[in-house]
Amino acid sequence: MDGSAAKLPTDDINISGVTRTFAVGSRQVYALRDVSLRCDAGSFTALIGPSGCGKSTLLRSIAGLELPDAGSVLIGGQTPQQKCRLGALGVAFQDSALLPWRSVRQNIALPLQVLRRNTAGARDKIDALIDLVGLKGFENARPSQLSGGMRQRVAIARTLVTDPSVLLMDEPFGALDQILRRSMNIELQRIWMENRATTLLVTHGIDEALFLADRVVVMHRDPGRIAHIVDIPFARPRSPPLFSAPEFHALEDEIAAYLYGGATS
Amino acid sequence: MKALLRLAILLALWEGLGDFHLIAQGALPSPSAIIMQWWQDRAVYPPHIWATLQPALLGFIIGNCIAVAAAFAFALLPTFEGLMRGFNIAIFGIPPIALAPVLVITLPGDWPQIVLASVSVYFPTMVMTLLGLRDIDPRPIDVIRCYGGGEFAVLRWLRVRSCVPGLLGGLRVAAPAAILGAILAEFGSGARWGLGSFLLGSLGRGNPARIWGIGLTATLMAALAYGLCALLGRRFSASMAAVTIAGGKTISKTAKTAASRVSHLLLALSALAIPFLIWWGILKGFGVSPVIAKTPLAVWQYLFSAPDAAESRAAILQALKESLPLAGIGLVIALSVALLLAVMGMIWRALTAMLMPAALILQTMPLVALTPMIVLLFGRGITATLVVTVIVTFFPAFITIAQGLATVPKASLDLLDVYGASRSQKLLMVSLPTSLPYLCAAARLVAPASLLGVMIAEWLATGYGLGNLLNTARGELDYGMIWAVAFVAVAVSVGFYQLVKLLEDQVLRRYSAASSAA
Repeated sequence: MDGSAAKLPTDDINISGVTRTFAVGSRQVYALRDVSLRCDAGSFTALIGPSGCGKSTLLRSIAGLELPDAGSVLIGGQTPQQKCRLGALGVAFQDSALLPWRSVRQNIALPLQVLRRNTAGARDKIDALIDLVGLKGFENARPSQLSGGMRQRVAIARTLVTDPSVLLMDEPFGALDQILRRSMNIELQRIWMENRATTLLVTHGIDEALFLADRVVVMHRDPGRIAHIVDIPFARPRSPPLFSAPEFHALEDEIAAYLYGGATS
Repeated sequence: MKALLRLAILLALWEGLGDFHLIAQGALPSPSAIIMQWWQDRAVYPPHIWATLQPALLGFIIGNCIAVAAAFAFALLPTFEGLMRGFNIAIFGIPPIALAPVLVITLPGDWPQIVLASVSVYFPTMVMTLLGLRDIDPRPIDVIRCYGGGEFAVLRWLRVRSCVPGLLGGLRVAAPAAILGAILAEFGSGARWGLGSFLLGSLGRGNPARIWGIGLTATLMAALAYGLCALLGRRFSASMAAVTIAGGKTISKTAKTAASRVSHLLLALSALAIPFLIWWGILKGFGVSPVIAKTPLAVWQYLFSAPDAAESRAAILQALKESLPLAGIGLVIALSVALLLAVMGMIWRALTAMLMPAALILQTMPLVALTPMIVLLFGRGITATLVVTVIVTFFPAFITIAQGLATVPKASLDLLDVYGASRSQKLLMVSLPTSLPYLCAAARLVAPASLLGVMIAEWLATGYGLGNLLNTARGELDYGMIWAVAFVAVAVSVGFYQLVKLLEDQVLRRYSAASSAA
């Protein structure tokens, strides 16, 4: 990659008073109640919490896939829908969501096609992204020929193809095994440090959140809300030995305490 | 090699049975006799084949174009699909043989064959294309929406490509159906050429070898059409399956308000009215003489207010009394045998391996071609009718049920294995409940076919029931009766379908995991 990646414009994310309810039978369930959060431009935030705490709903609201019942989400001062049309968002899900009939290269080109941008001119860029996620030589492979980890790398390359100012990731490594997950964490850090997009990562893994994020946001359920925010002081680039450092474990225990209750504020 | 040897033994056995007139006094001619007769008739076959193939091909093209256009319209406008529901079910339920005489008296030239072929291909192609357009992986939709893509972008980048395997699967089913439709429309069309006319003309001649020759030729044509489309499908649908399986879909349940109930009722009523409007519109649009072409109102008058309405009603009721029980019994027998064989196939894998290819080929067999052979073998009684009905319904039912049994998740079976479950326990506890939706679908899909089977046998052989009534009315140029019987046959068929669907909904509501609350 050339140095221009680091100069990309980034946006901050401003979430204020977001509420989202779902009807389960005759009962109203608060997936999110009055959630406010600010993510500075170029920051890396991890959302962690039990199933049903609304962290995915929050992420989908930022991506413009859900409309909150109350409150607002602004990305760099614009609504998610406005940002979507500019290709300013890159979203990765737990599943790679690749189109099975397209090759790796064609899958990465999909966002450009949806945005009606020139794909022929983006060929070099796509190949550079494939190189970036370590899939050189697999440009023309189809998803069925790739392993789970490789498919997830394709999905990450796809999120980067529009030079997004905001990266949203919903448990992108949730379906991978622990070993693969570690190596993907390290790669994600490398990619993020090259692009410096404002990033929001939803995860179930405390270690993953700690290793990657500047801040870890702990959420609780019923109603879905932010319970605590922990700043992560470790210097970058972070390397694998950090996973076994005592201060890492101390923070892990602290977040676990917030997660399992008792120490909530 | 083994398969070839088996085939050789079978052929030798058949040859022996045929040569010595062992079955039904020579009703089963030997293969050599059939081939010799075929060779003698070699000069007349090409024009007959061409006369059938040409309208079948044209109908195949027209019908499929309409079907694909309709599928796209339904996918984009769900309300439109709701409106056309009655029309779709009517097209699915129409026994082609009931429509044939109506088309023959209304349309000129080759058009009856072309239209019946189109009608026969519409439903399978439309349904499978729509399924492909609609039943898409929800995850890439999110990706497209993240880049501001709307409904059109989802259609363009996702749905169009996703529907291809379904579309090709539909074409595969439609190809033999087009040939069957074209042949059926030749019945009573007075056309000189065509395999249907050839078959009808040969029925009374006491030449079983020729009838078998025509039947086998038609079967071969249908099988070739099926094979050609299957080949096309295999080329295009490689690498289509999603790599991972999408998580459980959330079924949005909207509360029924009073307003939505009213619009629901309006929609249902319109859906019911539209087939009649189309029927009326086509007749008016083409300006067919009202003496020949009966509008819905004219059929109503014929049945209820004309001077001899009571007589007509009595004739139709009598015919229904003869036909319906046979269709019902045939359906039950076919489903039971299909279920039994599919279950046995689970225990002895070799059985499925042997039956499946045969079933796939035989379900494409043009029924008309088959009927005379069955009549030759079983006589002109109830047995022949039942055999025809069971054969038409058995193969598609068997294929559907066997597919259902094959979808049973391996983990569930492994779980029972851990506790040392026997085969019958696994069958009762896991396999049968899991494949219940497929069993229901099989029943629903073949219900109209059972009435078609009964009517064809009655028309060609037995001399009673709805099929016979239709044939007689055609002979006597009793136009009112032709339209009335056609209408009643369609109505009964649709009613049969809806009845089975109602049962299916009940069963699935009780046993299906999908409908239970999350």
